[in-house]
Amino acid sequence: MTAPLFSGYAPLSGTFDEILAVDGPRPTFARVLDALDRLNTDELARLQQLAEQALLQQGVTFSVYSDNRGTEKIFPFCLVPRLVAAADFAHVERGLEQRLRALGAFLDDVYGDQRILAAGVIPAEMVLGAVGYQPTLRGVKPPGGVRIHIAGVDLIRDPEGTWRVLEDNLRTPSGVSYVVENRTISKRVIPRILDRARVHRVDHYPTKLAETLRAVSPRSIDDTSAVVLTPGPYNSAYFEHSFLARTMGLELVTAPDLFVDGDVVYCKTTRGPRRVDVIYRRTDETFLDPEAFRPDSVLGVRGLMRAYAAGNVALANAPGNGVADDKAVYPFVPDMIRFYLGEQPILAQVPTFVCARDDDRRYVLEHLDQLVVKAVDEAGGYGMLMGPQASAAERAEFRARIEATPRRYIAQHRVELSTCPTWIGDGKQLAPRRVDLRPYVLTSPSGPWVLPGGLTRVALVDGSYVVNSSQGGGSKDTWVLKSGGAI
Amino acid sequence: MISRVADHGFWLGRYVERTESTARLLATTRSLALDAELEPAACWRPVVVVAGEEQNYATHAGGDLAAWDDGDRVEAFLAIDAEVPASIVRSIGAARWNARSIREVVSLEAWESLNELYLWAGSDAARTEFAERRYGFYRRVREATQLVLGLMRSTMLHDEPLDFIWLGVMLERVSQTARILDVQHHAYTSLTNRHEVVETSLWISLLRSLSGFEPFMKQHRNKVDALAVADFLIREERFPRAIAYCVHAAYQRLAAIRPPEAVDLPGGVTLARLRALDDLITARTDELRGNAVHELLTLVVDETHAICESLGKELLGHA
Repeated sequence: MTAPLFSGYAPLSGTFDEILAVDGPRPTFARVLDALDRLNTDELARLQQLAEQALLQQGVTFSVYSDNRGTEKIFPFCLVPRLVAAADFAHVERGLEQRLRALGAFLDDVYGDQRILAAGVIPAEMVLGAVGYQPTLRGVKPPGGVRIHIAGVDLIRDPEGTWRVLEDNLRTPSGVSYVVENRTISKRVIPRILDRARVHRVDHYPTKLAETLRAVSPRSIDDTSAVVLTPGPYNSAYFEHSFLARTMGLELVTAPDLFVDGDVVYCKTTRGPRRVDVIYRRTDETFLDPEAFRPDSVLGVRGLMRAYAAGNVALANAPGNGVADDKAVYPFVPDMIRFYLGEQPILAQVPTFVCARDDDRRYVLEHLDQLVVKAVDEAGGYGMLMGPQASAAERAEFRARIEATPRRYIAQHRVELSTCPTWIGDGKQLAPRRVDLRPYVLTSPSGPWVLPGGLTRVALVDGSYVVNSSQGGGSKDTWVLKSGGAI
Repeated sequence: MISRVADHGFWLGRYVERTESTARLLATTRSLALDAELEPAACWRPVVVVAGEEQNYATHAGGDLAAWDDGDRVEAFLAIDAEVPASIVRSIGAARWNARSIREVVSLEAWESLNELYLWAGSDAARTEFAERRYGFYRRVREATQLVLGLMRSTMLHDEPLDFIWLGVMLERVSQTARILDVQHHAYTSLTNRHEVVETSLWISLLRSLSGFEPFMKQHRNKVDALAVADFLIREERFPRAIAYCVHAAYQRLAAIRPPEAVDLPGGVTLARLRALDDLITARTDELRGNAVHELLTLVVDETHAICESLGKELLGHA
């Protein structure tokens, strides 16, 4: 049955709906909503189908790990865009730039003098005990002085609409290809609405990334050869690796294509060896170099870390960054901002209990039925206890785990994530679904730059809080509106 | 260019060409079987042999001798059976896998058209098409592969990656033409009850499977016979599916990748060997009577195989 798009749409109680306030649609989005509302449900169903078909035909897919035949799926996509007001994004942008400057300073310090530990701002065992801390890299200075070339910071909005950082991804954050591809789909399927909305472009990301990579080359920019290193086509993010290589005009290599001779990295080509200066690596650092990390591994490029330590090749991101996005170090980022920059943090965080601290742990164990517990070294929604929904047996299991290795766990109160109108194909209607936002920040020697957009992930399952694609999440195109002229 | 990327490009070209060639061969054999006064097995067995699947098909038939007379069964085996390495759906899958491994090299449009072919080939729609509109199935495969090859030439940089893809296309085509001609030439010239009309229809069918019927008729207005057809398919330098044309085109691609004067670069052995094969075919001007066709084609098939091996070692990073 055909119906106007927003008829029957009602926000959930106790959550911040990004489009509909208690007293009606938010005025900043009036122009876009007006255009969207001219569609009826039948039209949207048809457009949504067009969008999905386009994604499949373009091969915008991810591989599914659990399936050894290498099945590919499209990342579920909702055509109804996620809107971000200009003022909101300006705030986020300033906050992210500040955060990345502080995190970069923290990494330089941890792999240098360790002043922050000496000053007692962060307990030393929190940092030195982190799985991502690589003691062998202490004293190694990365070419160009940059460590977090590419960051993806996950943000959420609480019931008041306040933006909060949920976690930092400073190793190999993924998803940016969907940001660019989702926009391509919006342009193709709902061009007039996009035009009316006056949205910041996102398609220059690959160009900016290529500039960022060249800027840290140990050799002159004219001679620089940069490559993208992928684990290969079976990797779940292979589409993105190939997308970035293609759109940057760089070669996509696998570890066996590279070798090291005299602390210099070379690529095997049809014309013999060719020097490589910058590697945008999308492989886990423990598989970078068997000589340095895993003697038992046949994966990786033998001698790569020697070449890196000698300053002959830049690695983006730098190895060792895991110490800064460790979930147990996260609660201390506001302290880092104050310590290194002498500024007050612009972006809020989610209050976090660190189980390694006695008081925190006691509180966590007494309130397991109210908290979300996360293992500090896991990602993708794994290694989590959703206290309020968990069974008694699951809670007992986590209690035992926390008591055995408290350093591995943190806990937070569940934040009511904000919702956006999302197309539900089965019901043929819009319904509120919870979202997060991952903006991308590129850092070159001249400082950080934030892409005006980001990956909006949406929990498609009714009532779900988990936005990860591996667990029923999908994505939306994120429209950061241009400032001025918001009628 | 990275050797592994060159390798994927080369095999991308080979599998796209193999897909098309298999579709052509099945479609024309089907048409031949419908109007010839031939035993069905005489039509279908050569097709299975050309695909290199004689052993597999025998196992598949499980001692059922009638299977060799059963065109539908051979067609299903070589077109849509995902368990058969030489089948059309498997070749499409392999082409697409190689393209996906070097997405950054293949142009977006070429990739999309190949990906669409792949998605279609694995769908129920393709099976229905195969069951109900066989001609339409083959036609779609042929057109889609032509589209992929055309898009590669018209939307990619004409440099090394495309040279490797095209080298793959040409060497695969050499080998396909040589094997199709050899097997069918042997089958038709050894027919016990030879009949001129039947024989002519066989040669026309062979020419059709290589899209060579009309070009052949433009060159040879008189009789269609074994001698003339073999001569055309081996030595006609202006026909893009003739062996002479394909070997020469392959040589030119490789010479662009690794120029003859660039003695310091790898690839010299392969280039010399390809040149020798090119020269040998051009130098043969005698009438290809009797066993000469078979001997020459055997040499071409063996040499092509050896050239691919050598290419793998010198340029594609094989051990």
